Amino acid sequence: MAVLDQTGGVARAAPDRARPREKALRRRSSALRRAFPYLLVAPAVIYLLGITLYPGAYAIYQSFYLVRFTEWIPVGFDNYVELWSDSEFWQALLNTLIIGGIALALECVIAMALAFFAYRDALIRVWRIVFLMPMLFMPSAVAFVWKLAFNDGRVISDLLRKIGLIDGNLDFLGNVWLARSTLIVADLWQWTPFLFIIFVAALQSQDQEVEEAARLDGASWPAIFWNVSLPMIRPVIAVAVVLRGIDITTMFTNVFILTKGTPGGTTETISYFIYRQGFQTFNFGYASAAAVVMLVVTILAAQLVVKRAFRSGKA
Amino acid sequence: MEKRRKSKGDNLVLRYLVLGSWALFCLVPILWFLSIGFRPRTEIITPEPIYWPTFSLDAWRLLLADWPIFDYLRNSVVAVTGSVVIDLILGIPAAYSLTRYEYRGRDDIGFYILSTRMMAPAIVAIPIFFLFRNMGLLDSVWALMLIYAAVNLSIVVWIIRSYMLDIPKELEDAARTDGAGDLRILWEIIIPACLPGIITASVIAAIFAINEFLFTLLIASTKSAYTMSVALANFTGGSDGVIYNAIALVSFLAFLPILVLIVLIQKHLSRGLTMGAVKG
Amino acid sequence: MARIELRNVVKRYGSFTGVRRMDLDIADEEFLVLLGPSGCGKTTTMRMIAGLEEPSEGEVVIGGEVVNEVDARDRDVAMVFQGYALYPNMSIYENIRFPLRMRGIGKSDQDALIRRAAEMVELGDFLDRKPGALSGGQRQRAALARAVVRQPQVFLMDEPLSNLDAKLRSSMRVQIKHLQRQLRITTVYVTHDQIEAMTLADRIVIMEKGVIRQIGTPDEIYSDPADTFVAGFIGAPPMNLVEGKAENGRFTAPGLVAACPPDISGRITLGVRPEDCRVVTDGPAELAGAVYGVEPTGETTYLTLRTGETLFEVKAARDARFDLGAPVKICFDPERIYFFDTETGVRLRAQPQRSAA
Repeated sequence: MAVLDQTGGVARAAPDRARPREKALRRRSSALRRAFPYLLVAPAVIYLLGITLYPGAYAIYQSFYLVRFTEWIPVGFDNYVELWSDSEFWQALLNTLIIGGIALALECVIAMALAFFAYRDALIRVWRIVFLMPMLFMPSAVAFVWKLAFNDGRVISDLLRKIGLIDGNLDFLGNVWLARSTLIVADLWQWTPFLFIIFVAALQSQDQEVEEAARLDGASWPAIFWNVSLPMIRPVIAVAVVLRGIDITTMFTNVFILTKGTPGGTTETISYFIYRQGFQTFNFGYASAAAVVMLVVTILAAQLVVKRAFRSGKA
Repeated sequence: MEKRRKSKGDNLVLRYLVLGSWALFCLVPILWFLSIGFRPRTEIITPEPIYWPTFSLDAWRLLLADWPIFDYLRNSVVAVTGSVVIDLILGIPAAYSLTRYEYRGRDDIGFYILSTRMMAPAIVAIPIFFLFRNMGLLDSVWALMLIYAAVNLSIVVWIIRSYMLDIPKELEDAARTDGAGDLRILWEIIIPACLPGIITASVIAAIFAINEFLFTLLIASTKSAYTMSVALANFTGGSDGVIYNAIALVSFLAFLPILVLIVLIQKHLSRGLTMGAVKG
Repeated sequence: MARIELRNVVKRYGSFTGVRRMDLDIADEEFLVLLGPSGCGKTTTMRMIAGLEEPSEGEVVIGGEVVNEVDARDRDVAMVFQGYALYPNMSIYENIRFPLRMRGIGKSDQDALIRRAAEMVELGDFLDRKPGALSGGQRQRAALARAVVRQPQVFLMDEPLSNLDAKLRSSMRVQIKHLQRQLRITTVYVTHDQIEAMTLADRIVIMEKGVIRQIGTPDEIYSDPADTFVAGFIGAPPMNLVEGKAENGRFTAPGLVAACPPDISGRITLGVRPEDCRVVTDGPAELAGAVYGVEPTGETTYLTLRTGETLFEVKAARDARFDLGAPVKICFDPERIYFFDTETGVRLRAQPQRSAA
């Protein structure tokens, strides 16, 4: 403590030089203070309103018109009425649910199974990188690989024939379920890693002591996983599945490149339907009506599902 | 007495069978993809698939000679980098506002930002197309930059927000009593402290932007705006049909830098992918 | 260099009141400790002095000026935090330099001030390190140096030692007190640890649920508690409080009979500190009970007795040994028995002028 006494004397001499505080204390403006957080967040919000509110309003407006090149003819609710009785629209909606639902369910099960086996494995770092790779390829390029494999190059048929499951060639675009399964397999290959990565991270970051306690209690690993680990990471699963679910229902790239909706519109998703109505048949008003319907569904889903998933996920 | 194995119910054979077969399922298409990129054009679409092709640099030559690859690459780099910069400029202050202040409507604003992530590109595609047409921005890299920034802004805000929440409030209080103002605290204390989050957000936003397809398809129509992602899809036109070996090669080249980026942020990946909801 | 006054200060969070109607006058150069259990409003009080929270009502005055409207950055107070709050991306040198930089102190003056501050807390050799590379005690000293370096008007310390282990805590305590005496800067120190409060403070403010229960020197707080809350909070082990009845100068509770001032009656709580009790083998005694537990600490032995429903703690001789369940008789120091109104907890004094209030 002798050191302290020595230096203390010197330090005492310094204050007047160290503090130029003779000017009056600065008062803060409370109006600016209150506005400040809004000012910080405003640019982002305005920017986002630009791509949501403006286009949303525009789509609603346009959905009441028949658009022919530069000519806009008001048609009232005709577009919606037509949409309601348009079997192609309902088909697209159904396709989206079927293809998306099956793919999402499979991805969940596979990702969870892989995560269960991988997260305690010594080679976890290897598995993570390897399983992740498909996700890192450009989706449009991946779609082409599958196009070549399923259709143009007939590789899948050839492989199936070699192991004796079929003879002749399968026409993957000619059969409803074969065409749908190409979309499902393509999605599975590329996006199962998304769920896998999140599940593994959640399993690894859970409280180890709980698992250890269960082990000391004599539970087997599957039992621990099912009864202890899985319930603990449920909020995480919810967030991951919701995010994946949203992306899957907006599926476009694979449809555009792989099937173009064939055969007979059985692989056309809602996104592709809107695109086709707008940019291939140039029926913009009609496409906008479909977009508005999809927007309403999105808003409902966001309010009901996403909000809850994210609230609990943060815990 | 029977000697038990250390971990019960742990079937190693089953484990490696499952993990191994999925690894195979992941890797075989990639390897096959690679083999497409380095085979002559005549060996791609054949009556019988060829599994062991002759090595060839056809695709290379095609790319360098006939395909303005450097234009596409430049477009991708400019649009993606620009969009990430816009996202950070708008997103960091927004995230700061959402984490460090209490004010009316804060949670609703935060959720609004999050909910834009749920919007399908197809919903806004037509209005955006008209908007950009009216602004004379069709077929422009700037339009792509703006749209990528918009698409990814919610992700960037939420990821960074999640990292900012982890910074102890004390740090900010200390800086305040030390004499720092709000913006200086953001710049000198908060941003350095959540740098991993900012990097993660940037990488994920960049990858999504690189891969963006629908908007690019609508906005870009010539090599002055084509990015790698959409240029690939247009590798199909003309009398040659789909030029698979070039596609394979290009996408493999694009894969490598993305792999590097991802390995760099590996620890933060799950947190980034869930927009901060999961702390991995 | 600065006197601090809180005038009628109230802090509300929605419908919850964190601090109610507080008046406090802190003298220049005083070391004041705010003591209380968590959630009692002590940290809120300090944060209002710092300018990190705004009072809902009332005035905060520093150095004669009302500072309610003055931002924390302009109040010229320095704060030390429980979690140290060192800037993780800056070296220790940069950390200590930060407040100087923010106050526009010339580059030429900075270096000397920083080194001097670091010397004061014996951190001179660690200036190049990042906070992550320091131990808990070193980090806390770095935080102290950062507070000291600019010679503020007021030091505020928010449980600065509670993340340290016990041994380090007591040596840091001495160091903090020494620094404060040496720099003679008005200091407000928040803690829930009564030993810290007793050892550091010129005066202690004991708070509970947003209200000041007692203000006084450590000695006053210890020997003249204002109510059962203060009595039970100060002292380790705490004062024994036994509920019973008083009538005609006699206080009775199960197993306990003691003399009390004749003017006290009704439902009364008797208080006596373990160190003011004596184990006796025969003769008259106030309390009789059975041994419930024996805790030798080396320096002394604490004996816990059970009488009726209550446990009663007594400081016994260092080498005292007892069997569990053995009957024991206890004598109180008659000068050191306190009586409280059981209903309100308020201290009842027979002869108001007796104690040193």
